Amino acid sequence: MDVTMSYTTQTVWTWWIAVYLYLGGLGAATLVVTFLTDMYLKNHRALVLWGAFSGIAMLSIGSLMLFIHLLDPLAVLHVINPLVLFRQPHSWIAWGTQFIIWMMWWGLFYALPYLVQSERARRVPLLGAVLRLKVMTRLSNRCCLRFHKTIGWLATINGIGVAVYTGLLLQSFPAVALWHNPGVPLLFTVSAFSTALAYLLLLLNLVIKNEEDYYIKVFYERTDTMLIAGELVILFSFFHYMAAGNESAFRSAQLLWQDMGWLIGFIGLGLIVPFLLELKGVIKGWASRLPIVTASVLVLAGGYLLRHYFMYAGVYAHPW
Amino acid sequence: MTRYAMVIDLNTCVGCNACMAACAMENQTPVWKNKWRTYVHDKEIGSGEDVHRRFFPRLCNHCDNPPCLSVCPTGATYKLDNGIVKVDEALCMGCRACAMACPYDARLEVTHDDVETGREFYGEAYRRSRPSMDKCTFCDHRLEQGLQPACVETCVGSARQFGDLDDPNDPVAQMVARGVARPLMPHLGTRPNVYYIDDLKRRG
Repeated sequence: MDVTMSYTTQTVWTWWIAVYLYLGGLGAATLVVTFLTDMYLKNHRALVLWGAFSGIAMLSIGSLMLFIHLLDPLAVLHVINPLVLFRQPHSWIAWGTQFIIWMMWWGLFYALPYLVQSERARRVPLLGAVLRLKVMTRLSNRCCLRFHKTIGWLATINGIGVAVYTGLLLQSFPAVALWHNPGVPLLFTVSAFSTALAYLLLLLNLVIKNEEDYYIKVFYERTDTMLIAGELVILFSFFHYMAAGNESAFRSAQLLWQDMGWLIGFIGLGLIVPFLLELKGVIKGWASRLPIVTASVLVLAGGYLLRHYFMYAGVYAHPW
Repeated sequence: MTRYAMVIDLNTCVGCNACMAACAMENQTPVWKNKWRTYVHDKEIGSGEDVHRRFFPRLCNHCDNPPCLSVCPTGATYKLDNGIVKVDEALCMGCRACAMACPYDARLEVTHDDVETGREFYGEAYRRSRPSMDKCTFCDHRLEQGLQPACVETCVGSARQFGDLDDPNDPVAQMVARGVARPLMPHLGTRPNVYYIDDLKRRG
């Protein structure tokens, strides 16, 4: 029967799941890097506020992508309930949903003391009224500030959980060789943190613009350079895994490595060019912000392309 | 303990699609969108004058290790002790992870619109009330009445046979035990309970 196999890609989970996986990984990793920076590198109110709220916004938009494509959105209540983990401990979507929800809560609690102290936030009409409530001050001082590091680490653990989950979700589909291998969670996690660093570099260079953050930016650039290098190594091993062996994997390799969007768009412009730009910055430095801003934009675009192409290049083998 | 299984003989399937029609009427599937719980693929195999048509019926394989069940976030997909994998439509939120996980392409969407259309198409007897990711149930409601699944009962070439793997006297269990009937893609580790008798060996 095996001689009559047919091979096909899927149209069930397309670009909107790529957006979900991308914003999920990017948002969660942004929160993690922001909080770790604030806890261990430098207390940084602006970075925490920008990082936390843009991270939460990304997680919300990503989750919304999945939500609006559900056949029965009301039934989402079953997976929002944390007890779902006792009923479906083997489902990565169940874990991922809980990671995302708790990541957002811990992110909010971590940022709350900074938010309560922020004069700008207190002047925002509705938000300001909420922040001036006594209960918010008490929550901020008695809980959030008192357990700030614990909350930061809870957010970090959940954030890493979200980033790894985006890969584990695809890994749990056994029919597609491109997805069903241990390299996917690794690749998606590395990519999530690389894009998060790129996003934070954009924030530091274009929004926060504080000269004292120079060493944070250098640290981010160095880390991102290593992450991109790691991503290239993982992709190299992926190529060899796919080129020999399973027919489903081989066909995925043909789809990916013959596509200019993947080759030039993702690997060329999304990885190699920003790697070289950041490497030059690390070794000799740049006179202006433009090369690092360019590299960051390319890394962010590449992060989406990776997930987009992964979704479309998964090949099912059918024995009919 | 009963463990249900189906054997499909590719030598005797004539491609009449009666199984698809019987299943659709029995289980009220959204046929207006060409969505079926069971489907018969029609394929030409060979080259030149040495070509034959193969009809390949496909349905949920009711795996012992079903990936659709392990990925389901709400627990809507569940497994009965007799091996039948089912969907609780009240729990299903329709994320389609089951469709992505299934190597046998056995899941189909039933949307809100399909439920509305189904009421008109199947009339008062229509049982479905909400959307979900639908699938074959081996017609478990018929099994409870001592009947065979609709596709098995209607098959003109007796290409589909249904039985109990735990009954050593059952012809289905014997064909499986002898290796005459084999599962699809066993290397995936899904341990399917639908087995196929190959036609190509007989054709030489």
